[in-house]
Amino acid sequence: MKPLDIVVCVKNVPFTQDVDLVLEASKRDVRKDNLVYVINEWDNYAVEEAIRIKEQWGGSVTAVTVGNEDDEEVLRRCLAMGADEAVRVEPGGLQPDAFITAALLAAVVRSLPHDLVLTGVQSDDLSHGIVGGLVAEHLGLRHAAVVNGLTPGDGSVDIAIELEGGQEEICRMALPALLSIQTGISEPRYVSIMGIRKAAKKEIEVLDARALGVATGDLEPALTVEELYLPSDGEAATMLQGDAASVADQIIHIMRDKGVCNG
Amino acid sequence: MAIERIHFWGIAAVPLFYVLAALSVMVFLTGVYLRVSVWLSARGGHKLGISAEGMARVVTDGLLGRRIFRGDILAGLMHSLIMWGFLGLFVGTALSTVDHWFVHYLNGETYRIFSLCMEVFGVMLIAGLVVALVRRYVVRVSRLKTEGPDLWILVLLAVAAITGFFVEGTRLAVQTPYWESFSFGGVVLSHLIASPAWAQAFYPYIWWFHAVICLGLIAYFPFSRLFHSLAAPVSIYRAPQPGVRWARTAAADQEAVADGEAPRGPRFSFGDLIDLSACTRCGRCDEVCPSASAMEPFSPREFIAGANAYTRAAANPLARIKWLRERLPRAFSVAPKISPEQIWYCTTCRACLEICPVCVGAYRSIGQVRAAEIEDGSRVSPLLVKALETLYRFGNPWESSKRKRSEWPAGLAVPDLTEGAHADLCYFVGCTTSFDTRAQKLARAFVRIMTHAGISFGTLGQRETCCGDIARRVGEEGLFEEQMDKTAGLLERYGVTDLVTSSPHCFNLIKNEYPPWSREQEAAALNGGAPGSAAPVRVRHYTQVLAELVDAGLLGRAAAINRRVTYHDPCYLGRYNQIYDAPRRVIRAIPGVTLVEMEHWGPDSLCCGGGGGRMWQELEGEKRLSEVRIKEAAAVGAEILVTGCPYCLIMLEDAAKTADLEGGLKVMDLNELVAESLALGGEEE
Repeated sequence: MKPLDIVVCVKNVPFTQDVDLVLEASKRDVRKDNLVYVINEWDNYAVEEAIRIKEQWGGSVTAVTVGNEDDEEVLRRCLAMGADEAVRVEPGGLQPDAFITAALLAAVVRSLPHDLVLTGVQSDDLSHGIVGGLVAEHLGLRHAAVVNGLTPGDGSVDIAIELEGGQEEICRMALPALLSIQTGISEPRYVSIMGIRKAAKKEIEVLDARALGVATGDLEPALTVEELYLPSDGEAATMLQGDAASVADQIIHIMRDKGVCNG
Repeated sequence: MAIERIHFWGIAAVPLFYVLAALSVMVFLTGVYLRVSVWLSARGGHKLGISAEGMARVVTDGLLGRRIFRGDILAGLMHSLIMWGFLGLFVGTALSTVDHWFVHYLNGETYRIFSLCMEVFGVMLIAGLVVALVRRYVVRVSRLKTEGPDLWILVLLAVAAITGFFVEGTRLAVQTPYWESFSFGGVVLSHLIASPAWAQAFYPYIWWFHAVICLGLIAYFPFSRLFHSLAAPVSIYRAPQPGVRWARTAAADQEAVADGEAPRGPRFSFGDLIDLSACTRCGRCDEVCPSASAMEPFSPREFIAGANAYTRAAANPLARIKWLRERLPRAFSVAPKISPEQIWYCTTCRACLEICPVCVGAYRSIGQVRAAEIEDGSRVSPLLVKALETLYRFGNPWESSKRKRSEWPAGLAVPDLTEGAHADLCYFVGCTTSFDTRAQKLARAFVRIMTHAGISFGTLGQRETCCGDIARRVGEEGLFEEQMDKTAGLLERYGVTDLVTSSPHCFNLIKNEYPPWSREQEAAALNGGAPGSAAPVRVRHYTQVLAELVDAGLLGRAAAINRRVTYHDPCYLGRYNQIYDAPRRVIRAIPGVTLVEMEHWGPDSLCCGGGGGRMWQELEGEKRLSEVRIKEAAAVGAEILVTGCPYCLIMLEDAAKTADLEGGLKVMDLNELVAESLALGGEEE
C-alpha cells in the first residue's frame, strides 16, 4: 500500500468536565482565566488514528491548529504522540469562529501534501460540528462525518460511519478525502511529560492568518454571540429513600414508567 | 609407603586432563563474561562501593543463609549442605592442586585430616542434594516450580559427588594402606569390590568419567542457575535498605530521551540487572505476593524470569558479532518479550524483597518496565491515563479542581501557611486525604488532636499539590519530577522545616526520594548509604507525631474504649520505613483497648491492594486483596481494624462492606481512634 500523507486539524480547548463555569461580566463569554486547556477530545482520537495509520503503513502526519502561542501546547502534544510536522496559524487580531477557522485551515491544508485530512467531529467548546465539512468544501474533498472505523487501502479508505439507533454504514471512499473522526474509534495513547519535553525541541511552523491568501470576506465573523446564560437548576433529581431492597424496587418502577425497560 | 596425597594414580594421559580443564575454565570465564556484560550494559552508575553493612549481610544472609532458613528450616539446611559441601570440595581440590604442583604439604596427619574433611564435604553435598531432589520431585514443595534444567543441575552435582567416592573406593580396593582409614566413604566402597585386578582395570574409566562430569559442571556453571552463587552475594551486598533513597530511574536517561536516542523498552539499572541474574526461582515471593496469592495473572517470580531472559538476549555481546549472527540467526533473532499487562498488578508492597533470600525485589525492575510502557503510551489503561492527565492538569489524581483541595476541613479552623499563618509544623494533607470523603475524616481527626494538644501547625491550603507518588509508582518519571519540583518549591518558599503527612506514600516519597539530590547522595544511596541523609526538611508520618504526643502524656485522661483492636501495617510505613512500633504504642496507650495481631503483621503484613497505582486501575483476580486482609482481621475477633494510611482506610472499609463484615468490624484510621478516646467531637456517622 502506498504510504499516506495525513493532515490532522486540532484545537486547544478549555477543560470543562466537572468544572463550575463562571460567565464574563459582559455575558458574551465564559471566564477562561482559571480554566485548564487541553486537546479537544475528538481531535485526540483523530490524531491517534493518524499516528496508527502512519505506524502501520508509513507516510507522514502533520498537525495544524489555529490559535495563539499558548495553543502550541496542543501541537507539542501531537508531536509527542508521533506527528512529524506541526503548523500554527496565528490569528492576529481575528476572532476565529467555525467559518474563519475552516477557511484558514483549508488554506494551510492546500499548501501541504494531503491524501487524507482528519478532523474531530466537533469541538468541546463551541460544538458546532461544521469545521470538517467546511474545510472539505473549501478544498473540494470527499467528506464523511462521524467516522468510527478506518482502514486505509490502495487509493481509498474503508470507513465505518456512525448512524442513529446504533447502526453503522460501512463504505469505501476514494482518496483524497476528509473524515470527521468520532470518539471511541480507538483508545488514544498516553502522552508522557518526557515525551512532551522531547517534542518541545521540534520546530513549529507559524503562519500569519492574513498572509494565507484567504479572501477578506471569509475572515469576517459569521456569528456573533448576543448573550450567554447558565441553565437554571432543574427539578429533575428525585432522592430515593429506604433500604437497598426498597430503593431497587422504586428504581425498577421508575424505569418501567419511563419506558426504559419492560416486564 | 609414606602418608601423602596421591595425585593422578594410574592415569596416563595427565596432559589431556589439563587440556580439558583449560577448556572448561575458558568456557566458564566466557560465561561469566557474558553474564557480567549484561550487568554492565546498564546506563548510569556501575559502582558497588564499599559498605561494611553490605559485607556483613553477605556473611549472615549469604554464607550463613539466614534468609534461607527463615520460614523454611529444611530449605536452609539443604542449601547449607550443598553450598558448604560444594565450597569445601572446591577449595579442597584447589589445595590439592597446590600440593601437587607447588608445595608438597598434604602428608602425614595433615593429609589424614584433609581427606577426612573431603569425605565430610562429599557426604554433605550428597545429603543436601538428596534433600533437594526429595523436596522437588517426591514431596513436591508447592512453591517450587520445576523446569528441565533444575533436574540437570541436581543430577550432575550428585553424579560428580558420588563418582568421586567411587574413584576413591576403586583405588582403595587395589592399594589399601592402613592410613587411608580416614577416607571412610572410599574405604566402605572398596570393600564392595572383591577383585583388585578388576578395580585396577576399571579405575581409569571411572576416574575420567568423574573428571569429565566435574569439568562439565564448571563449564556449565555460569549458564545455569548455579550462577546465583556469584550474583547473589552482589545482590545481597547491594540490598536496598528500608528508609534509604531509591535511585531515580529517569535521571540518567533523561538527556538521551530528550535527544530522541534512547532505545525503546525497559532500561534496567545496574542493580536491577544484578538482581535479575541472582534469582533462583525459589518462589517465596509468589507465596507472599498479595497479587499472586489472590490468583491475579501476576507472579513476581515469572516476571523476574521473563525480564532476565529479555535482558540476557537484549544485552548479549555475542549478538554484536556479525559473523555469529549470520551463522546462527535463530539463536539471536528470538527476542523474549516482557508481557506488559502483568506489570500493573504489582502493588509495590515490598513483600517480595522482604522474603527474598537473595534480596531481590521484583517491584524495582517492574518500575523500569512501567516507565517504558508510560513512554510508549499506547497500552496504558484508560483509567490510569485519566488519573495522570488529571494530575498533570489539576495537581491531584482525583478531581478536576485545584480549589476543592481545601474543602476537607469543613469548618474546622486550619491555619494556612500560604496565607500568612506561622507555625512550627506543616501538615501535608495529601491528595487522597484532601479529596476522598472517607479519608477526609482522618485529616479532621488529626487537626482536632493537634489543636487539643496545643501544637502550632498549618497546611499549604489550596497551594498544596500532589507530591508525585502515583506518578513515581506507575513510572511517569517526568510527571513525578514536575510534582517533586513544585512541592519542594512550596516547602522552600514557605520556609517549611518540619513536615508531617497523612499518607505513608507522601511520607516515604518526600523523605526518601526527594531532593536535595546531589551526586554524592546518589552515590551514597547506591552504596546503601545513610537513611534520608541531609534532607533539609524533617519529614514524619502522623503516627510518629502521635506516638511522641502519647509519650508526652496526651492520652493521660482519655476515655476508655473497651474494644478488641487490630492494626494493619501500611506497606510504605512498615516495610519501606520500618515504622511498626509507633502506631502500636499509640493504640496500646488508649485505655481499655486490647491490641491483637492478625496472622500477617509487621514485616509480613499483607497489602490492602491500593498501592503502586492500583487505586486508579481496575484489575481484579479471583479474590480482592483487601477482602483477604479484612477476613484476617475478622478471624482474630477484632472489633476495630485500625490503619495509618488513606488508601488502606478506603480499600479496607470498602472490603468490609463487600465482604459483609460491616456490622461486626469497624475500619478506622488511627487519628479517629485517638480522637474518639479524647472525646474530641468525632465525626457524625
